[in-house]
Amino acid sequence: MRFTRKQVVVGAAAAGVLGAAGIYEAVDQLTTAPERPAAAAELGPEQHLLGGQRIVRENGAEVIVPPLHHEVVTATVEAEDLRDAQRKLEEALAGLDRRYPATPAGLGVLVAWGLPYFRRYVPAPAQTYLPRDRRAEKPALLDAVRFPSDPADTILEQNDVAVLLRSDRLDHIADAEHALFDGTGLFRVTSIRKGFAGGGFDGGVSLPKQMAVAAGVGGADLIPDTAELFMGFTSTLVANLGPEHIANLETLGLAFVPDGYFRGGTHMHLSHIAEDLEAWYLNFAFDERVDTMFRPHLKVKPGTQTVPQGPGDVATSADVVRDYKESGTIGHSQSIQPSSRLQEDYLGEDGTLYKKGTAIPQRADFNTLDNPFFWSADPKRDRMKTVPTAGVHFVVFNPTSDDFHRNRMAMDGVLPDGTKLKFEPHSRGQGFNAVLTTTHRQNFLVPPRRHRSFPLVERL
Amino acid sequence: MRRLVLPVLAVALALAAGGASSAALPKNLPCPNKASWQRLANRIKAPVYCPAWLPDPLVGTIGNRWNNINSVSPDRSYLESFVWQETGGGAAGGELHVNLRGYPGRTTIPTCTEVNTVNGKNHHVTMPCFADPSGTVRVPGITATMYTVNQDADQWHVLLAWRHAGGLYTVSEHVAPPLDFDKVVAYLKQELNALVLINPTT
Repeated sequence: MRFTRKQVVVGAAAAGVLGAAGIYEAVDQLTTAPERPAAAAELGPEQHLLGGQRIVRENGAEVIVPPLHHEVVTATVEAEDLRDAQRKLEEALAGLDRRYPATPAGLGVLVAWGLPYFRRYVPAPAQTYLPRDRRAEKPALLDAVRFPSDPADTILEQNDVAVLLRSDRLDHIADAEHALFDGTGLFRVTSIRKGFAGGGFDGGVSLPKQMAVAAGVGGADLIPDTAELFMGFTSTLVANLGPEHIANLETLGLAFVPDGYFRGGTHMHLSHIAEDLEAWYLNFAFDERVDTMFRPHLKVKPGTQTVPQGPGDVATSADVVRDYKESGTIGHSQSIQPSSRLQEDYLGEDGTLYKKGTAIPQRADFNTLDNPFFWSADPKRDRMKTVPTAGVHFVVFNPTSDDFHRNRMAMDGVLPDGTKLKFEPHSRGQGFNAVLTTTHRQNFLVPPRRHRSFPLVERL
Repeated sequence: MRRLVLPVLAVALALAAGGASSAALPKNLPCPNKASWQRLANRIKAPVYCPAWLPDPLVGTIGNRWNNINSVSPDRSYLESFVWQETGGGAAGGELHVNLRGYPGRTTIPTCTEVNTVNGKNHHVTMPCFADPSGTVRVPGITATMYTVNQDADQWHVLLAWRHAGGLYTVSEHVAPPLDFDKVVAYLKQELNALVLINPTT
């Protein structure tokens, strides 16, 4: 299968592309929706948690089967009467909740709000109610920054709102797009970002491989047939993802949540990262791909895609420094583990004892052929191209912006204890950073479900 | 300028047509300049492989305008590199680069060293020069293994390696516009199929 130009090129107006799937329609032609457990019964306070997840075993590790279709719509606020807008959006969201369970088989909807919204529309209550990061002694929601390995032209975005939609069903996502954005008068859409994940868990060729080959992306033929993501390794291992409530603002005590307003909420980082698959598969031998993705000298069977990373496998800062000194390289997983995994047992605010080595971030990243977006209101600024390219829309939930920044800095060799391992940007020793180029970044606050619609407007 | 554009157009048109398929190639193509390859075989006292077909505009004659490297090492291993390059976007630019190597007297994959300079310190990392085997290509007289991760002059190339008469031989081609991985593999199969074995005569 090869995509046609019509499938690749979409129209210029947001209204015209809402509901359009373009090349992503092929996801439904290339795979069928995976079997899922029965739907979760009740909606919890957290918007970012999906029920009804299916877990399979791969190479001795538990792996979450992600939803097939993903989409992020970013926007600025268009409504003038904010109280009316708050009511309208909540009604639309509640309608989606009634139509679909919050599961991959149904629809996951998450509404996250950026600093421009809080500064422009609810500045006074934001001063009072926005959570603060106790460890960093800063607001829990910070402006995004460029990291040492980011290009100088990485765009730091200023969207008011981002809506994350996840489902095995494209029609569920299209329904949500229409309900929230089409003629509602609530938002001006700034970008639409689409993608996919998985599809290869029940045997056969996975979606990333099939989609990249169909799009004619360089290096697509070199992706392992059953790879969950373009880079060839399984990403959604249960042990790699934070358990249920750990990324909540309040669970680890990282954030102070005034009046409990945002309790049950979290922080979301959204970025687009282009992946040079040809460089990855033609310049890094399998052993080196394992070294740089996980940790130097890790021995796994050739062709392994799922590499267990349980609490017992967690690296310390000392491990990272030792490997850096010996080989001049660090592994991606290894480098972030000193900041992304609990360094000691912790009794969470939710009463759960989180064991040492437990992952904190909850990722919801997905592969894309957007270059860099499916649609942009400002194609020049966003440097839109019509040729598909391999990439990832990186979506991750951490308790605070600073917590995410610590993890990302560790990827660049700046460890949480302050140790700086010097690397040239895009140096081979920096692992798979060498083949990644971040085009856009923004941080958002994800309110709990009860305040997901225009948060703090009622406190004006 | 006109002189430069014509071969570029020829390359672009050949690619647009999907490249010459092996079915379209006449069998038993002759070595375009046997004398130059015979001299190489005699010099290293071992067989060499002459490329009877290379993608247009390359021609496999040692010493011609496309042959940018003609190198023999003290251990008698050789590297013959043929390259066409043109700067410019789209059909006006690109690169075709084919390497032919021979390692007489050894059949094991050679070791390459990469120097990784971190914080002013050089880390010497040794690695196989050809890695990530991914299948076999067979043509009459040759069974070659395809390697997708290669080092030194073969970096970013797809490479076919095979053994003959106690030696290791390779042909590799760069994955770069106007070619993608699929087309490079197709070209390599064609190049392998059109190799002419030249034995030393002295």
